[in-house]
Amino acid sequence: MRTGDYMQSYGELVALVDSPPVWLWSAVLLLALIAAPHLLNSYALSFLMIILITVTGALGLNILTGYTGLISLGHVGFLVTGAYAYAVLVSKYHMPPLVGFLGAGVVPALASLIVGAPSLRLKGLYLAITTLAFSFIINTVILEMRWLTNGARGIQVQRPEILGISFDSDAAFTYLCLAFAALTLFATLNIRRSRVGRAFVAIRDNDTAARVMGINLHAYKLFAFVTSAFITGIAGALYGIYLSFVSVEGFPFLLSIEALAILIVGGLGSALGAVLGTVLIVLLPEATRLLFSLFSAQMDATFTTGAQELKSMLYGLVIILFLRFQPRGLVGAWHDIKRTWVHWPLRY
Amino acid sequence: MQYLIQLLISGLAIGAIYGLIAMGFAVIYKSTGLVNFAQGEMTMITAYIAWTISTTVSGNVFVVAVGAILAAVLLGLVIERLVMRPMLGEPVFATVMVTIGLAVILRSAINFIWDAYPHGLDIGMGRGIVHLGGIGVRTGQIAVIVTLLALLAAIWAFFRYSKVGVAMRAVAADDRTALLMGISATKVHALAWAASSVIAGIGGVFFALSYDLSPAMFQLGLKAFPATILGGLDAVLGSGLGGLLIGITENLAGGYVGSGMKEVAGFAMIIVVLMIRPFGIFGERDIERV
Repeated sequence: MRTGDYMQSYGELVALVDSPPVWLWSAVLLLALIAAPHLLNSYALSFLMIILITVTGALGLNILTGYTGLISLGHVGFLVTGAYAYAVLVSKYHMPPLVGFLGAGVVPALASLIVGAPSLRLKGLYLAITTLAFSFIINTVILEMRWLTNGARGIQVQRPEILGISFDSDAAFTYLCLAFAALTLFATLNIRRSRVGRAFVAIRDNDTAARVMGINLHAYKLFAFVTSAFITGIAGALYGIYLSFVSVEGFPFLLSIEALAILIVGGLGSALGAVLGTVLIVLLPEATRLLFSLFSAQMDATFTTGAQELKSMLYGLVIILFLRFQPRGLVGAWHDIKRTWVHWPLRY
Repeated sequence: MQYLIQLLISGLAIGAIYGLIAMGFAVIYKSTGLVNFAQGEMTMITAYIAWTISTTVSGNVFVVAVGAILAAVLLGLVIERLVMRPMLGEPVFATVMVTIGLAVILRSAINFIWDAYPHGLDIGMGRGIVHLGGIGVRTGQIAVIVTLLALLAAIWAFFRYSKVGVAMRAVAADDRTALLMGISATKVHALAWAASSVIAGIGGVFFALSYDLSPAMFQLGLKAFPATILGGLDAVLGSGLGGLLIGITENLAGGYVGSGMKEVAGFAMIIVVLMIRPFGIFGERDIERV
């Protein structure tokens, strides 16, 4: 098993995957995912859908927070904008769903220009709080624009039919989510290895030094905002379709925190990390529930009455424990395991 | 005119509560350099403990006040010792995310321990109405404004004259040099967390006195963000005043523009302020070197 980065040329440094077996495993995973909707029951399938939608959103946030190092506490704002853009275009004005998805990307991207431009002067915590402010403002704007968004009543959304193919059934909709998730993964991996992605990482690691190297901070930060918002908006549209109903309440502020938790647990700045983190965070409450029900019926009862609370407590605890003991996330843990495996019994 | 004065006074009263919580943010930021995203939840827990004391032990004002303050001190110390101290020396992003995790835990713990219904905190005062020139004002609203002003003065004197206050400023300015001068940074951090918890807790108890106690109270923390940002994260006094400013703005926006605007007036304001001064009105500009 390979353990480290043995790069000998710049070409290898920007390769899409770092070794041939990765292609094989990716193909196996893809085949498994294609087969999954036919094998899983509807309960398990709903988790798969949520995971695929969340992966898309987490990858979107990863561009901004993971690659570029701009912390966003308001990503749920882009999510909800995307969902509303889709709902308004498709359900209200009866546009084709493809136009809806395009709108779900473009509208948050435009909104991100509005929040991104003033944020260019800000860094770190001040930026985090500005994005937080943005997500509250966008909620109010949506509630006030009743003529367009139905205010607090929300909008009903149907499962789409694209190019004559109906995505009405759960299995079909899972394929749609899978397509978007795979496309996003491919796109973000490619962004990371391109000139733009390397500029993002340079800004994250030291923005003053990046500027001295000739990177246009404003342009690249705005570009990170726009790309991130575009992807997040599409994830929002998918989530809206999944819920079959778009309203401000469907997108609580906790989703922003959850998205950051996913990135941290997975490993900040890594596309693989975003995927691993999503799987862990989405399945965590279910896994705990199963564990509890194994122990005793009493504990199971506690879990059912206080389920929501225990679930959120678990999020908090997982965030804290990961930051404390494994700040590089699951990806970091994986690298450690690989190293230990090869070097055993030596420690380094 | 009557309407305007009414809006201004209730704005000042709610603004004083924001100011207290915002001071809590600033005290922690000033000595440890991080924003505590769990401030609203800590505020809320103190208020809930005060309510529990008033219903189970005694409704006496002093018993409740002393009990709540002790509980707040304990809460601040425990959080600092168990959660924040192990994170010493980690990057700011990591420590701030830890406080976000803490906020999530505390918020659900409150729902888990107490219930999700609103309660009134009744200690026999604070709800009476005084008439000032034809305008009815609750005594609790006057009390919170007075408390904020008194605390502002006390904290100004503390940072200016007391040895501990100077030590806290030293740690904030440069913790390594402060350590070399014989100041224990961990003690200063513990003190800051305890102080912040108490100051914000007082705000929480006053909120419960004037309005009601409910699981939605953590939003006070979110409302206090604009106040801290407006004043500057490192300006304790500025944050207190920022709270008053936000409270008034919110009420005026709510009274004259629309109730939707009331919720976001503060946030809209900080975006404008940060565009002009990215480090708050009273904050100090950071100078960075590569």
